Amino acid sequence: MKKRLLSLLLAGVMATTMVAGCAKKPGAEGGEKGASEKGYELALITDVGTIDDKSFNQGSWEGLETYAKDNGITCKYYKPAEKSDSACLTSIDLAVKGGAKVIVTPGFLFEAPIYQAQEKYPDIKFIMVDAAPISPEKEVKINDNVSSVFYAEEQSGFLAGYAAVVEGYTKLGFMGGIAVPAVIRFGYGFVQGAEAAAKDLNISGVEVKYTYVGNFDATPENNAKAAAWYNNGTEVIFACGGAVGNSVMKAAEAAGKKVIGVDVDQSAESETVMTSAMKSLSTSVYDTVASVYKDSFQGGKSVTLTAKENGVLLPMETSKFNKFDQTKYDELYKGLQDGTIKVGNDTIATDASKLSSDYVKVESIK
Amino acid sequence: MNILYFIIQQTMYFAIPLLIVAIGGMYAERSGVINIALEGIMVMGAFVGISFISIFQDSMNGQLLLILAILVSGVVGGIFSLLHAFASINMKADQTISGTALNMFAPAFAIYVARMVQGTQQIAFTDTFYISKVPVLGDIPVIGDMFFKNCYIITYIGIAIYLVAAYVIKNTKYGLRLRACGEHPGAADSVGVNVAKIRYSGVIVSGVLAGIGGIVFVVPTSTNFNATVAGYGFLAIAVLIFGQWRSNKILMAAFFFGIMKTLSSAYSAIPFLNALPVSSEIYKMFPYIATLVLLAFVSKNSQAPKAEGIPYDKSMR
Repeated sequence: MKKRLLSLLLAGVMATTMVAGCAKKPGAEGGEKGASEKGYELALITDVGTIDDKSFNQGSWEGLETYAKDNGITCKYYKPAEKSDSACLTSIDLAVKGGAKVIVTPGFLFEAPIYQAQEKYPDIKFIMVDAAPISPEKEVKINDNVSSVFYAEEQSGFLAGYAAVVEGYTKLGFMGGIAVPAVIRFGYGFVQGAEAAAKDLNISGVEVKYTYVGNFDATPENNAKAAAWYNNGTEVIFACGGAVGNSVMKAAEAAGKKVIGVDVDQSAESETVMTSAMKSLSTSVYDTVASVYKDSFQGGKSVTLTAKENGVLLPMETSKFNKFDQTKYDELYKGLQDGTIKVGNDTIATDASKLSSDYVKVESIK
Repeated sequence: MNILYFIIQQTMYFAIPLLIVAIGGMYAERSGVINIALEGIMVMGAFVGISFISIFQDSMNGQLLLILAILVSGVVGGIFSLLHAFASINMKADQTISGTALNMFAPAFAIYVARMVQGTQQIAFTDTFYISKVPVLGDIPVIGDMFFKNCYIITYIGIAIYLVAAYVIKNTKYGLRLRACGEHPGAADSVGVNVAKIRYSGVIVSGVLAGIGGIVFVVPTSTNFNATVAGYGFLAIAVLIFGQWRSNKILMAAFFFGIMKTLSSAYSAIPFLNALPVSSEIYKMFPYIATLVLLAFVSKNSQAPKAEGIPYDKSMR
């Protein structure tokens, strides 16, 4: 009798969840928009992050989704089952089978998979964000059906670093996710920005703690690390690694300190976010997808979006600055655009501590 | 001194969830049911608890909301663990497999429901629970700085749970019966103890505590819940084994793990550790190496419950 009651209960629970599942329309999942028999024309394949990482994947997806909505095209995202080349390739196969004509792949994970896929599917257009197809022999080879988009993250980091020092902070921190080129560019730019501001304002003794935490997740370890830095006097941390930011923000809330967000405008995430070092992910994905449909797709090469193309920016409206104002920002931005301000990228040093100068002391923590 | 206080405060964030969940695991295992579903139950507890906070944070805030959320998490954890209890006690299923099933189900469920309801998988919450200084107690020199500043009420709840749980299993009739069912259920049955009932209770207690552990884990360390507790359920099992299924040893093990975790992530801000030529990986590895060494030495006379993992069959008596 007891058993029967229990199984009845379990069946009841299952039935309710199923009803609850059906009550929502299928489109609410976010991944699928306007399924048709032809499948989904625009596809995005995520990297290790999720589609709603409030950062890299989400930014790219928003661009794609907006274009799809504006033009009544179907779209869908896919998530590789695991972090491996074969899983990424399988997702690409899946997307093609699902009817994809344009596939957007954000992240360096796709270097090798796209190298294979560009040969396998010559009729499909691939848009790579922050990566280019790389052969097993480490050679870059971009076919005509692939467009690879890079950003000058160092300029975005530069603006953030400059702003932080203008705001009066002299103890800065940089907490990157994994040391991939984009993250390194952000970090090096950040240090150079702090240095430039210190030089302009003639402040000496700016210190930067610099590390890569080795993941893109919100973990108690990352939280403790940030808390330790804040406790030790660090005033603002540039959290440059997806969900790592959430751990840092939590520590900042407890310590009453500041955070600089990354990739997209993260001011809504926490009160402590002073500004965000952005790159125009959604705009550039939107534009590149649009170019496919306007027959102006420029495949076969990689483009680096800099300040000149408005590829990098700080969201001045939502930033909480006291001293760093729009005029200063415009001045800097103009300098970046016309080349009077030069910011080195990830190739200028092998280690962040080598960026130390008379004005800025970088302590690289392994 | 500041650094010392900081290390102690930070250790609490790591140690308290480990302690609560490991004590929960102790109840299940000493009743004779292996519970490797702790991770999944933590996810479930945290999911519902954080959702609760996120829904009600507009109408109330502060400690009351947190305590209610903890209760909700505990109840959900208890209910969720019933699945494991049913499979392993009534159905006599392989306990490792049913536990694994729960572990796989929980994050998927959390992501699915969160996406259905609010569109994104992260559930954000506002932290109104942080206590920068406990009134009166925080003014005590040294001790006040160590234990009553920069903390959450969950630290004290966790300690209270530990004290009660340790007392019950050691000093009450129920505790004795529970232990008997884990060592020799046949003997317990022969004197009229209902083994199934006791084992159910053990699993439910572990579920309640793991559920609470889930929310206790998330609140101090993130601004949202992203369907994961970063392997702390499994770490709690390691603490349980390291603590040899005994509550006082578990307490020490939890704080040992907690301190090592703190040192590995905060060493860069601790002057004398930063000066040492030891990389953070060493600190990270240390608790696990210690566990391995300990297991190597004591596994011969391990104090694991004898009947652990074996479904009780009356006919085998």
